[in-house]
Amino acid sequence: MTIATSGGQAAGGALERGGAGSNLADVVETVLDKGVVIDAQVSVAVVGIQLLEINARVVIASVETYLRFAEAVDRFDITPKGQKGLPDLLDGASGALGAGKAVSDVGKTVGAIGGVVRDAVGELGSDDRERDRDWDRPRRRRDRED
Amino acid sequence: MAEESGLFIYGIVPSDVEPTPDAVGVGDPPGEVAAIRHGELAALVSEVGLTEPLGRPADLRTYQELLDGTAAVAPVLPVRFGTVVTGPDAVADLLEAHHDRFAAALDELEGRIQYTVHGRYDEQNLIAGVLADNPAAADLADQVRGQPEAATREQRIRLGEMISQAVELRREAENRALLDALGPLAVATAPRAPSNELDAANAAFLVDGDRSDEFIAAAEEYAEQRRELIRVRLLGPLAPYDFVSAHQLVE
Repeated sequence: MTIATSGGQAAGGALERGGAGSNLADVVETVLDKGVVIDAQVSVAVVGIQLLEINARVVIASVETYLRFAEAVDRFDITPKGQKGLPDLLDGASGALGAGKAVSDVGKTVGAIGGVVRDAVGELGSDDRERDRDWDRPRRRRDRED
Repeated sequence: MAEESGLFIYGIVPSDVEPTPDAVGVGDPPGEVAAIRHGELAALVSEVGLTEPLGRPADLRTYQELLDGTAAVAPVLPVRFGTVVTGPDAVADLLEAHHDRFAAALDELEGRIQYTVHGRYDEQNLIAGVLADNPAAADLADQVRGQPEAATREQRIRLGEMISQAVELRREAENRALLDALGPLAVATAPRAPSNELDAANAAFLVDGDRSDEFIAAAEEYAEQRRELIRVRLLGPLAPYDFVSAHQLVE
């Protein structure tokens, strides 16, 4: 759950809402490789600390990707429009199937990252998923209007 | 901690921001979050042991929650995850060396917040659409369908490549459509790289706080129009991760 967001999915809406802590893949994607970089030349001692390797990058085009797309053609038994129309697309269940697929993809990413992390640190507390203890955000001393 | 420690820097904020006493930092056990002030600026930091590896899911979440929570009440410049310096003096040196630039960047961010919109194609509808538009691909699909992979590997690779190229074109068009739809409601936009081959659109928007509702309504409409084809998600409000470019501030 986020601090200031309602979180969750808007009732009946097509837009899904997420924020900090919604899922690990989002966190990784939102945060990694972003932000101000402070390097050693600032005459500030940046300490070389060990970061666990987190690699969530996906190769966009590769033979593996191509084969996966081809496999999807098989899996969905998609009939080209020019020939017989798209009967299976009219079937309401197909949409749900697709959605479920997307969700499980995300889960897989999370699992992979979790795996890397677990290897490196050993036992991983099971509490990390819902670590949204009620920490308070920083507040401003003065009011906003000045 | 008896071991050697350093200060993990989360972000840079105006000097009037102060962490609440129960704010927790990264690490295990988590450090206490403090603000180190210099001039008009402060850095949000917490102590970490130098031998402790960081980057656990909990650390990433803590970092994001602290920055997003801060961004909800004050402007903040996120500092890249994993930045650890030797101590308070080093933090003060850093703020001193870049004081005016950091302060100007914070002024720019005052009252603004980031939203990220991320769309992912429904694979089945996407591929059906590509095959319908591309007779050559549909032809290959016929040759491949139901055949063992080993016997049709060449055709599969060609088919997959065609689909992949078509998806790339659609993705470009979809990203343009997303920026056209929501860009006018934002003060700045930043395209984000696709993170999955089924990504349809991915972009960050810096939005004035008082236009948030308008922006969200427009995002809902954008999602509604694509309901069957794209699963659209809105992340935020977030700290402005995509609007502090790495080298624009520290040269």
